[in-house]
Amino acid sequence: MIQLSKNYSLPERQEEPIPIKVVGVGSAGSNVLDRVLLDGMDKADLIAVNTDVQSLASSVAARKVQLGRTCTRGLGTGGDPELGYQAAIESADEIRQAIAGPRMIFICAGLGGGTGSGAAPIVAQLAREAGSLVIAFATLPFSFEGKRRAVQAQDALSRLNEIANAVICFENDRMGDMVAPKAGIHQAFGVADMTISQSVRSIVNLIQRPGLIRIGFDDLFAALRSQNGRCLFGFGESDSDNRAHDALTQALKNPLMDKGRMLSEAAHVLVQVAGGPGMTLSEVEILMRELGRHVRDHTQIVFGTAVDGRMGNRLSVTIISSLASEDSMVAQQMPAQPEPFLAPPPPVLEQAEEPPPAPPKIDIVPEHEIAPSSEPAAGDLIAFEPPAAAEAPPPAPVPSIKKPAPRLIPPKKKPVVEKEAKPPKEKSVQAKQEVLQFEPVTRGRFEKSEPTIVEGQDLDIPTFLRKNIRVK
Amino acid sequence: MASGDLIVGLEIGTSKICVVVGETRPDGTLKILGVGQAPSRGVRKGEIVDFETAMKCVHEAVVDAEQKSDVMIRSVYVAVAGGHIQSFNNRGCVILPEERDEIDEQDVEDVKINAREVSIPAQNAFLHSIIQHYHVDGQDGVLNPVGMLGEKLEADFHIVHGVRTRIQNTIRCVKELPLEVEDVVFSALASAQVVLTQHQKNLGALVVDIGGGTTDYILYVDGAVKQSGGLAIGGDHITNDISMGLRIPMARAEKLKNEEGSCVLGNCLPGETILLKDDSGFAGKEIERETLNTIIHMRLRETFELLKRTVEEEPFINYAGAGIFITGGCSLVNGIDHLAGEIFEMPAHVTHAQTLSGLTSAVENPQFSTAIGLLKYAQAVQVDRPRRGITRIFGRFFSGMR
Repeated sequence: MIQLSKNYSLPERQEEPIPIKVVGVGSAGSNVLDRVLLDGMDKADLIAVNTDVQSLASSVAARKVQLGRTCTRGLGTGGDPELGYQAAIESADEIRQAIAGPRMIFICAGLGGGTGSGAAPIVAQLAREAGSLVIAFATLPFSFEGKRRAVQAQDALSRLNEIANAVICFENDRMGDMVAPKAGIHQAFGVADMTISQSVRSIVNLIQRPGLIRIGFDDLFAALRSQNGRCLFGFGESDSDNRAHDALTQALKNPLMDKGRMLSEAAHVLVQVAGGPGMTLSEVEILMRELGRHVRDHTQIVFGTAVDGRMGNRLSVTIISSLASEDSMVAQQMPAQPEPFLAPPPPVLEQAEEPPPAPPKIDIVPEHEIAPSSEPAAGDLIAFEPPAAAEAPPPAPVPSIKKPAPRLIPPKKKPVVEKEAKPPKEKSVQAKQEVLQFEPVTRGRFEKSEPTIVEGQDLDIPTFLRKNIRVK
Repeated sequence: MASGDLIVGLEIGTSKICVVVGETRPDGTLKILGVGQAPSRGVRKGEIVDFETAMKCVHEAVVDAEQKSDVMIRSVYVAVAGGHIQSFNNRGCVILPEERDEIDEQDVEDVKINAREVSIPAQNAFLHSIIQHYHVDGQDGVLNPVGMLGEKLEADFHIVHGVRTRIQNTIRCVKELPLEVEDVVFSALASAQVVLTQHQKNLGALVVDIGGGTTDYILYVDGAVKQSGGLAIGGDHITNDISMGLRIPMARAEKLKNEEGSCVLGNCLPGETILLKDDSGFAGKEIERETLNTIIHMRLRETFELLKRTVEEEPFINYAGAGIFITGGCSLVNGIDHLAGEIFEMPAHVTHAQTLSGLTSAVENPQFSTAIGLLKYAQAVQVDRPRRGITRIFGRFFSGMR
C-alpha cells in the first residue's frame, strides 16, 4: 500500500543568509548602529568607524575601527571633512579588513560633520573595490545647523552618490516634522535615528527573509535607481484587526513619503508585505489595492511578500522608491549597475506596441471600448457609434454599462487612446460619464417633506450633487 | 426636591427632544436640576410632521426629565425653530400728551404696541418684539426712558414672526400631554442667552445654532438684537448627503458623521480610508476619508455661504466684533469653526452654555444650548427685577395665538 504524504508544501529552503555588514561612520553613524542593535538585528555584523575614541568606546557595535590614529590622535575632526578624509585614508587598511567578506555593505553616516562627510565616501570606495554592493544611508543636517554644514553635506552626498550603488538620503528637517514641536531635541534626533534604523532593518529583512515572492538585489536597485534623487521610504507594522490598512497608513505616514503624495511621481515602487503564517491573500490584496491609489498607472510596482514565523500576528509593509531630481533625469538612463533591470521593458511596450495589450489589468471596460470599432455588429452598440456627436446617444448605452467603470477609466485610457487617434470612441466615453453624474437626483430622506428652496435651488438635494462634485 | 421656582425648557428638535429642568434661587442664580431627552421622530426640519409620534417622543423626554430631576413638570417654555421664522426691525413712536412731559411705563408699553403695527403676512404671528434702543426727542441711545422728560418717545424694535399654524402645532403637541405652555421662544434667541455674555452682546456677535433640521441665527450689535431668522438646513442634511454619496444607510451615515466626519479638506492622507464593519443587513464597506469630508464640507460651506448672503442683506454683520458663535448639535463636526471663520472672515467659536451651576456636563454640551437658554430667557422675563440694561426682553406676545 502506498501512503501519500499529506504535506504538500515544499520543505523550506534553508539558504545561507547573505552576509551583510552595517558600517556606521562618525558619531551619527554609530548612534544609528546603537539604535539598530537595540531594535534587534541578528542578521548583520555591525562595525563602528570613527575618529573620536570616546564616542567609539561608547558604541555598542561588535567591531570598532579607529580612524587616523596619528592625524587626529583619538580626537574628533572638529567638523572638518578634509581631516576626516585624511584619517580614513590613513586607516584604509583597517577599514578594508573590517569590511572584507560580505556581498552587501550598508554605510550609515550623518553628513555635514567631519568624519561622516570625509570618511564615508572612502569607506564606500573601499567597499566597492572589495567587490561589495554598497547602500549608503545618509542624513542631511537640520537647516538650523548652518549653511556651512549643509554645503559640506551636499558635497559628501554627491561623492557618495558617485560611489555607492544606492544612496538613501534622509533630511533631518523633514524628520523633525514627525516630532511634536515641544518634544526635546534629543527626541528629534532620536526619531531620525529610529527612522534610519528602521529602514536598515527592513532592507536587510527584505533581502534575507525567505520570500514567497522574493525581492532581490535587482529589484531593490531598480527601485533606487534614480541617481542623486530623493529616496522615498516607508515602513509600517501593525497587528490590529485592520492590520493591512493600518500598516500601510503607517508606512505612508513616514516623513520620507510626504503622506504618499510623492509616490505618484515615482517610476518604480518596491513593496514588500511580510507577515506571520496568518497573513491572508485578501489582506495583501486590500493593501495593494489601497497602495495602487497612490501611484500612477504606469508606475512599475515590484511586489514581494514573505512569511516569517517570527512576525507572529504582525503584518509589515515596506515601501521603497526614489524620485529622480530634475537634473539627474538624464543620468538615470545610464546607471552603472550591472544588475539586470526589470524596468526598461514596460515603457517600450507602451510606445511601440498597440495599446490594447498595454492596459490588460483594467478589467472589463476595454472590451466595451474596443467592441464598437472592431466588430460593429454588436447590436445596440452600433446605434451610437456613427453619430459620435456625444450628446444625443448616451442615454441608450448607460444602462448597459456598469456604473463605476466609466469613472475609473478616462484618466487611465486617455494617453493611450490619444496616441492611437480614435477620437470618436473617446468622445462617447466622456459623454457617458457626464450623464451618470446627473443621474441620481433624489432628495433622500427629505423626499416627503416640504422642499427647502432657496435662490432657486432645492437644498434638500445633496450639495455635492448640485455642484457636480465627484465624490468617488 | 426643588426649593426655588421651577423653570422647564423644552426643545422639540429634529434629531432629539430635550427637556431641561432648572430652578431659580432667591439670589437670582439658576441651577440645573436635570436633563431629560428622547430621540425625536415625526419632526422634519424643526417642524412637526407626524403629530402622534412627536407627542409620544415629547412625553418620553418629559418623563425622563421628571425622573432625573425628581420634580413634577407642569409648565414649560418651548423653543421653536424652522425656516419659516423671519424678522425685521421697526420703529414705534408715541407723542406725549400736552399736559405731561415725563415719560412713564405706560408710554413705553404704548410705543411697543405702536411698533408692532406693521403688516406681516396674514398667516404669520408675532413671536417676539425685542427692544433695541429708545429715542427721546431725537436723542439716540436711551436705555431706559422712564422718568425722562420729553415730548416724543420713539423705540426701535426687532420683531420676530413665524407661520402661526406651525407654531400652534408645537404648542398643541405640548398641551395635549397635558402641559402648560408658558411661552414660545425662538430657539436662537434662547441659545444666545446662555452662549453669549453681556460683553459679547455689546461687542456684537452672530450666534448660529445648527441643529438637526434647522440652522437658526441671531445677530447682536451694540447689545441689541439686529437680525434673526432660520434656514431649514441642518445636520440631517449632512447625514442625508453622506448616506446618498457613499450609499450607506442613514444610521450608518449619522454614526460616521459623528465619529469620523470633519469639514476640513486636505487634512488626511491621500487614499486614507475608514472601514465600516459589517453588520446585520449591511455588508461592510471601505470609504475614503477625503470623500466623506468633501461631502460634509460642501454642505456646510453652502449653508454658511447662504447664511452669509442672508445676513449681509443688512449692513449689521460688519459690527459683529466678537465674531461668530456656533452652537447646536451640528457644531460638534470637526473643524466647523475654521470653515465658518474662513467664510465669514471673522473669528468663529464653537460654544456651549456658559455660567450656570448644577449639571455642568449638560451645560457643556452644545446640543443643550437652546433648552438651557430657555431657562435663562424665562428667568429674565419672569423675575420682576429692575430692568437689566437694554437687552431686557419683552417677550410674551402671543395673546393672539393662544
